[in-house]
Amino acid sequence: MPAPIYLDHAATTPVRPEVLDAMLPYFGPRFGNPSSVHRWGREARAALDEARERVAHALGAQPDELCFTSGGTEGDNLAVLGSWRALRDVRPALVTTPIEHKAVLAAVHQAAKEGGEERIVAVDPAGRVDEAAYRALVDARVACVSVMWINNEVGVVQDIPALAATAKAHGALVHTDAVQALGKVDIDLRTLPVDYLTVSGHKIGAPKGIGAMYIRRGTPLEPLMHGGSQDRGRRPGTENVAMTIGFARAVELTLAEKAAECARLQAMRDELEQALLARIPDAVIHGRGAPRAPHILNISVPGTDSESLLMALDLKGVACSAGSACQSGSITPSHVLSAMGVPTALAVAAIRMSLGALSTEEDVRRVAELFPALIGKARRLAGVT
Amino acid sequence: MRPRVLVAMSGGVDSSVAAALLVRAGYDVVGATMKLFCHGDDLPDRPCCSLDSVNDARRVCEQLGVPHYVLNLEDAFGHDVVDNFVAEYVAGRTPIPCVRCNTFTKFRDLLRKADAIDAAYIATGHYARIVDGALHRGLDPDKDQTYFLWGIDQRVLARMLLPVGDRTKAETRQVARDLGLQVIADKVESQDICFVPDGDHAKVIAARLGPETPALQPGPVVTVDGRVVGEHLGYARYTIGQRRGLPGGFLQPMFVVAIRPATREVVIGPRDALLGNGVIAGAMNWLGAPAKVGDRVQLRVRHRAPLAAAEVVRMEGDVIELALDEPVAAITPGQSLVLYDGDRVIGGGLIERAAGARRPLALLAG
Repeated sequence: MPAPIYLDHAATTPVRPEVLDAMLPYFGPRFGNPSSVHRWGREARAALDEARERVAHALGAQPDELCFTSGGTEGDNLAVLGSWRALRDVRPALVTTPIEHKAVLAAVHQAAKEGGEERIVAVDPAGRVDEAAYRALVDARVACVSVMWINNEVGVVQDIPALAATAKAHGALVHTDAVQALGKVDIDLRTLPVDYLTVSGHKIGAPKGIGAMYIRRGTPLEPLMHGGSQDRGRRPGTENVAMTIGFARAVELTLAEKAAECARLQAMRDELEQALLARIPDAVIHGRGAPRAPHILNISVPGTDSESLLMALDLKGVACSAGSACQSGSITPSHVLSAMGVPTALAVAAIRMSLGALSTEEDVRRVAELFPALIGKARRLAGVT
Repeated sequence: MRPRVLVAMSGGVDSSVAAALLVRAGYDVVGATMKLFCHGDDLPDRPCCSLDSVNDARRVCEQLGVPHYVLNLEDAFGHDVVDNFVAEYVAGRTPIPCVRCNTFTKFRDLLRKADAIDAAYIATGHYARIVDGALHRGLDPDKDQTYFLWGIDQRVLARMLLPVGDRTKAETRQVARDLGLQVIADKVESQDICFVPDGDHAKVIAARLGPETPALQPGPVVTVDGRVVGEHLGYARYTIGQRRGLPGGFLQPMFVVAIRPATREVVIGPRDALLGNGVIAGAMNWLGAPAKVGDRVQLRVRHRAPLAAAEVVRMEGDVIELALDEPVAAITPGQSLVLYDGDRVIGGGLIERAAGARRPLALLAG
């Protein structure tokens, strides 16, 4: 079988060799606990401080505004629940969209269970937040607005600066899940009017289990965990020093390569999209009517189902994904596509291809041949011609 | 190229060993666990979507070095199997959901998934055998599962692999141990219907139709001669031959002998009233040449019951009537009738009712 093709970079990415090299000493000789007073502790503390400074610098933030987390889910929960619990008495409402990551949606549902008011803004068929609906829902009762910058399933980019400005005018706090956005759009927290921002390491070549959250100076936040005073009490627990170093390295590399890599990915994505549409004229590309991230292609072909296609693709060596998996691993139709008004028959056929560091022109060429062939077979079996 | 086989894996010992034997035999094995229902958060010990089964099946596939997928067949299973299960109880019958699961879910829907991945074969851990393109009973008489397999499309037989069918359960467990699948080998066998976890099928009926459904409302318990002798808490809780939940105080043991949904009556009678001299079944499916009037066959009206000898006395469309050589107890509407020629399954159907015999039975005639 020819070399397998990885088209699931939005799910996770391999750790970059430079990142691994940067981390290795901290698993070995420099193993100290940053809270310790001795030389081992000081060495670890210095590394942690440096990592924090480097990530902050890369994002236009101050080091004390950066809190290291375990990743996107923790950051999303901390922002949504942490802001709401701090402000609930005066501002009981939360505003979000139906196409958020489950980490945001479930955190908002949790706040609602605790007495909060959940306000979900509609999105248009292309996946963009409906501005009129958004304006109608944001008012002085809102503690926090949480909108994902780049949607992980369809790649649609929201106008975060504009949405944030509207929320700020009503005194609401603003969070954006920027997990997919890091390395794909410009993030400059000196000018971006958000109060919280969540990023994750494993989407950009750092290991799983490390991420960071930006918390603007002076912004209230009720911690989720209680314990030591690490990270100003916002995130107690001994810091994962090695991974913060790795994360800092990954952020720097990603941002340094951003312009060239985005152009490369977009060219390949567009080529793949054109090739697939040429061979499967009735294929539907989700989010195509909106600004989209350069690396994501979400396609549905009528008369097919993603479960069978994913298996067939995997057995041919092509890794893609579909919808979201429940804890058993079975695929359920995407809540994102449902919210965009995609008919169920198409939503259950959706396949997400996400390009990244491993992607090559050769991959695109092969998938442009293989995918339509599998579609043709699936449709013959289903009796669709 | 090695032939590819899609193995339906439940996480239990039989399907795990089936997969292992196929790997050993050189097949290109792909494991799949079907997600058929979701209890959500209702049952703390049984997490969502039979998660433990999925995890066990995945571990076995990891050990065997073959891919494993979870297939969501929940909608189709709910429609084809659970809805019918409920409707049959409401109609006063006693369904076997495993039959429809095999017919529709495993050997139709799963077969479509096999087509999608170019799998020439589909395999399960059933104790049954394919011999010369025909379905035969499994070699272990205690484990034979052909009673649940009669409904599959005859054309599917050529694509079925049943690797444990020529083994005893003990041998299967030994193979599991030999292969290092220790946890699986020692698993306790589940006797429950998979989507009725605590054995209370009335809960499933109530969940689908609401607790107010007439099938779960009180009704009269009557004797065969029409006397009302008590009240029951819903006829759907009863099956033919049942003793549990009946009023006492009779000179001889009493059994459910009929269920009448129209009047919500549960009819009870003595053991003799349970005996049938013939059987009528519908929805007959043939796994080879159909039987003809006058054919002598062996049959089963219940899983693991001894084979009974009978003669085909009537065939009309997909309905068959047989006369039994000896009376059989508790011929139950909704259960399966399976016809055998030795070990070979001729076909099967759904029991409509016990039938009168051509000749009166000495016991009742005297």
